[in-house]
Amino acid sequence: MSGAVVEVRGRQVQISESGSGDPLLYLHGFADVHSVKEGWLPFHEKLAEHARLIAPAHPGCARTGENKDIDTIEDVVFHYLEVLDALNLARFDLIGTCVGGWIAAEIAVRHPEKVRRLVLIGAAGLFVEGALIGDVFMMAQPEFGFSYASLREMLFSNANHPDALDMFPDGKGELEDEVRRYQMLRFSSRIGFKPPYFYNYALRNRLHRISSPTQIIWGENDKFVPRSHGETYADLIAEAELKIISGAGHNVHVERPEQTAKVILGFLND
Amino acid sequence: MKPVQLFCWHFMAYPYLDKDFDKKESSGWVTVPNRLWDNTRSRGLYQEYIDQLAYADQLGFDGMVLNEHHQNIYGLMPSPNIIAAALTQKTSRGKIVILGNLLPLHLNPMRVAEEYAMLDQMSNGRLIAGFAPGGGPETFNYDVPSANTREKFWEAADLIVRSWTEDGPFAHEGRYFPLRYVNLWPKPLQKPFPPVWIPGSRSPSTMTEVAKRGYCYFLSSRSHGGETHRAQQEFAAVLEKHGDRYHPFRFGILMSTYVAETDRQAREECEEGVWYFLKNCLKGHLRREGRQLTYGPGVPYIPAAAWREYLKGYTPGRKLLGDVENWEELDASQSIIVGSAETVTRRIQSLIEKAKVGNLLIQFQLGNMPDRLARKSMKLFADQVAPALRHASLKQFTEEYAGFDLEASAAEALH
Repeated sequence: MSGAVVEVRGRQVQISESGSGDPLLYLHGFADVHSVKEGWLPFHEKLAEHARLIAPAHPGCARTGENKDIDTIEDVVFHYLEVLDALNLARFDLIGTCVGGWIAAEIAVRHPEKVRRLVLIGAAGLFVEGALIGDVFMMAQPEFGFSYASLREMLFSNANHPDALDMFPDGKGELEDEVRRYQMLRFSSRIGFKPPYFYNYALRNRLHRISSPTQIIWGENDKFVPRSHGETYADLIAEAELKIISGAGHNVHVERPEQTAKVILGFLND
Repeated sequence: MKPVQLFCWHFMAYPYLDKDFDKKESSGWVTVPNRLWDNTRSRGLYQEYIDQLAYADQLGFDGMVLNEHHQNIYGLMPSPNIIAAALTQKTSRGKIVILGNLLPLHLNPMRVAEEYAMLDQMSNGRLIAGFAPGGGPETFNYDVPSANTREKFWEAADLIVRSWTEDGPFAHEGRYFPLRYVNLWPKPLQKPFPPVWIPGSRSPSTMTEVAKRGYCYFLSSRSHGGETHRAQQEFAAVLEKHGDRYHPFRFGILMSTYVAETDRQAREECEEGVWYFLKNCLKGHLRREGRQLTYGPGVPYIPAAAWREYLKGYTPGRKLLGDVENWEELDASQSIIVGSAETVTRRIQSLIEKAKVGNLLIQFQLGNMPDRLARKSMKLFADQVAPALRHASLKQFTEEYAGFDLEASAAEALH
């Protein structure tokens, strides 16, 4: 893994990169590279065996500079358009998990020509009546002053999942990991705290613009972005297929790294 | 020089919770079920609380303090300005301190500028204008994204003061609150504008912003160990850095007290209200029990670098004020000072001596404390504690700030 901080129009952007082959842009979520760990998770390593995996940290996350002018998802999309230009990425495969999935979908509806194949994993971004996206901010306030059990419960199939405990430990974890989690919450509060809560009402009417083959992957028991959001993405994107990972929660790439990577690699190489 | 200014702060708690509230409910804030509101018993409650504040005015307190909270049992004042309006008609002497309106919660800061100007006119120039950014619970109540709260807050505060001091109409070209026609009617009565107080919890950036503008800093902590003294020193240092000089009336603190005829009687009389306040009202705010919403990673309003510094000294699961388990622990926190007039005088006086604080904002009514006891304590305080505090503090401040022209400094601070 190589980690570089590149300057994009005067702003620092941290970009982790591994592997070789076709470019595969990865946009992270909450339980992910840059947001809980500095390095790759096993899932990313699998992907990097078959592609040139490129994972930027969102504005304000890891060593990417904070951008106080980010108010809406539109601002995030334009940030990434600048990053794409700086990296000379004209056409690429695109994967997004969670909030990163929302950003990926927003890029794809605007620039379908840039996206060769699209993968959305537990992606936020849609308004689905009766299935509000969970309040990750409330859950990020510890209970009893130290317990993040309800945050883990929301983000994973269960609060005691070993990876969940590793990524969101009770009490005070490693200082830099704590700061990383905080940075991700601070960044995402800019686009998900106030209504619309992690969605863009207009997105659903734009999804028909996505022309690339699309793989939607969802945990069967996603308690953060309900499964009906995955079904809606699959319904509204022309060439989409939905894969439900049985027994998994929101972060299928953490809970089922091999299975999830296999689905993705099969799809990308199809 | 003047003596310590003694204010009566009323939070207007909801006092009719059942005894098993703490056992049954996980929070007193934001999600506390409003089916617990008893419409029959609550009839007349606001009147009772307003009358207590009017009584403080009659007793000679220097002012009355109100503040803004939403969806909670700790303070039933989503709009303190409404209570302040009532006080303008019920009182004639003391300052009316609103500490404060939560600026990021208002769609347009001009609403605050207008209402404060009205209150200043209606009270014949008695308003002290507090501006606050709001804490964690308010971000959840009003969906205020935390990351830009501080910037929105200062833009709003500056716009309000500009609208009070600069003739309109003018255009405000702000990042968050652009307005084409700022042209305030009415203007506030006090010139150049009402005193501005800003609460903070020792964050250096808040102290700096307050110092730059010449406002008064109010420490929002409820406990007064060594940190109160440190906050005063930090603020004094920040003031000096900005070419200003600390004096006791640039600084205020919040404390609670209960005074009775003897130490023993005081404790007996107030204990029910005190525990109601600590265990119910502070649940969700200053208790680790349940989910504390006031600060934390879910309400990320400070920059990541400041969070890193905060974490270094932070112990997860540490006790907060509402977690005290017995009277001795409570006593040690210097938060609620209970006793005879003599005891209370001695303890508060020692706090003033150390913290060099000129504005004491004192909560008398605690939790479900009955009207009769709250009033008795207020009267004993006014008759037997306040004179001694005034006497001693005047002597202290005169000595420590000899040659200091308070009037000139205050005027300068405001310009």
